[in-house]
Amino acid sequence: MNSANTKTKQITKKDLFRANWRWLWSSQICWNYERMMSTGYLYTMLPTITKLYPKKDDQVEMMKVHNQFFNTNAYVGGFIVGMDMAIEEKEGIKAKDTVAGLKAGLMGPLAGIGDTIVGVILPTIFGSIGAYMGLKGNPIGAFLWLAVNFIILFLRFSLLPMGYTQGEKLVYATGDKLNRITDAAVLLGVTVVGALIPTVISVKVPFVFKLGKVSLKAQSILDQFMPSLVPVALVAICYWLLGKEKMNSTRLIVLVLIAGIVLGGLGILSK
Amino acid sequence: MAIAWWQILLLTALAFWMIIDQITVGILCNYPLLIGLVAGIIMGDMSKGLVVGATLQLMVLGVGTYGGSSMPDFMTGAIVGTAYAVITGKGTNFAIGLAVPVGLLMVQLDVLARFINTYFLHRVDKYIEADDVPKVARNVVYGVFPWGLSRAIPVFIMLIVGNQFVQKIVEVMPQWLSNGLSTAGGILPVVGIAILLRFLPTKRFIAYLIIGFLAATYLKVPMLGVALMGLAMAIIFYHQSGNSSHNQGNNQENKPKETENELGEYEN
Repeated sequence: MNSANTKTKQITKKDLFRANWRWLWSSQICWNYERMMSTGYLYTMLPTITKLYPKKDDQVEMMKVHNQFFNTNAYVGGFIVGMDMAIEEKEGIKAKDTVAGLKAGLMGPLAGIGDTIVGVILPTIFGSIGAYMGLKGNPIGAFLWLAVNFIILFLRFSLLPMGYTQGEKLVYATGDKLNRITDAAVLLGVTVVGALIPTVISVKVPFVFKLGKVSLKAQSILDQFMPSLVPVALVAICYWLLGKEKMNSTRLIVLVLIAGIVLGGLGILSK
Repeated sequence: MAIAWWQILLLTALAFWMIIDQITVGILCNYPLLIGLVAGIIMGDMSKGLVVGATLQLMVLGVGTYGGSSMPDFMTGAIVGTAYAVITGKGTNFAIGLAVPVGLLMVQLDVLARFINTYFLHRVDKYIEADDVPKVARNVVYGVFPWGLSRAIPVFIMLIVGNQFVQKIVEVMPQWLSNGLSTAGGILPVVGIAILLRFLPTKRFIAYLIIGFLAATYLKVPMLGVALMGLAMAIIFYHQSGNSSHNQGNNQENKPKETENELGEYEN
């Protein structure tokens, strides 16, 4: 009974591009505490809704469905939109519950992948390189990151059509592969962080011990033990503090700011 | 150096675009480094902007906005910090000392913007009932204004007021405080690194953390070199884990689960 419908209301490449474009600009534009990205999802689906459902009641119904709570990583969320469009194109209004379930089921796992790769690993790698060069006034690292962001933008655009054509198949087939890619990316990130500790934290102990005629510089004693001992110790202390129940990132920043001012003011540490 | 009116306008526009960029295309403004660079170019001193941006960048390495949580807004901090660094000529560490509190205070405005958008959500609900598609669309787009203005207005005010005010502060600031601020600027990246290590499954990959550290300290490998080394190890890891993927399940348990805090600055 659907064959007549699918012929007249087919989703074209242009529709996919339009949804992609809308998702890019609108997914978080009306982000709010009540339903988070619901409005963005609705805005993305509006052309599809008006195309697929000529009846007013159906339109209202589907607009309501797509204005329900939704939250995922904006970079990878297009994949869900693509799958949704494929299903609604085939099944129409009957698929109402299916797509609602699909959205709820996939938004979490996709957010996990997107947040880890796009939200943490890429900024770790390129932010580290860029900041390392930037501290010396060299903009090349920053430009490198800029270039990567353009590549990401380009890649992002392939996800919605991929969701449309591949759909569920892909989620199951590549689940294990994605985990391995994520793990490998984390490995790379951790390696870079290891190198970051001694290179970007600039702190010295300017203290000088005086025993009669002999004076000993505290920093050179520490250096003989291990280079960058102070930065490593500071990272270890902060890491440990973050494990405390009442500690969070904002408090830690305030704490380190105050500690830096006090220790620097007293001349115990210096840049 | 005093700030020119066109610089104030450009930086205000940058602040507006910055948050929109963050929630849409994500090219320029996801993180403080690139913002600092652009703010530096506007202020006519690119390298100062880079240094301010880079230092703030390192602080936020592990801080992300997941699940709609607010994070300290060091992008705004980078704009204001860069402007103050150039205006006062007091060096970047002084500016970072000012940028950090700015970033922390800006969290409140982020919350406000996300809250105001709820109003537009309810208007959208209303127009759905009326099946008024153009008005539904328009009200979604209105969300741009709470977002953009929540950054642009404070930056504008801080630049207008800061022009004279910050100069005064600099004049009366004692030497020990400048030393302290400078030291604080030097060690603040520690926070970002520690948060990042908490977020990542560091215990599982601790060997690679040590390898990265050794390469940078004892072998003096530059950062890009370390990244390439990491890439090589990542490729090896990927291929080897493919052969024994059935063992992977056990390893997952080592990942830290307590990455969310009560204020929700970062969560998994």
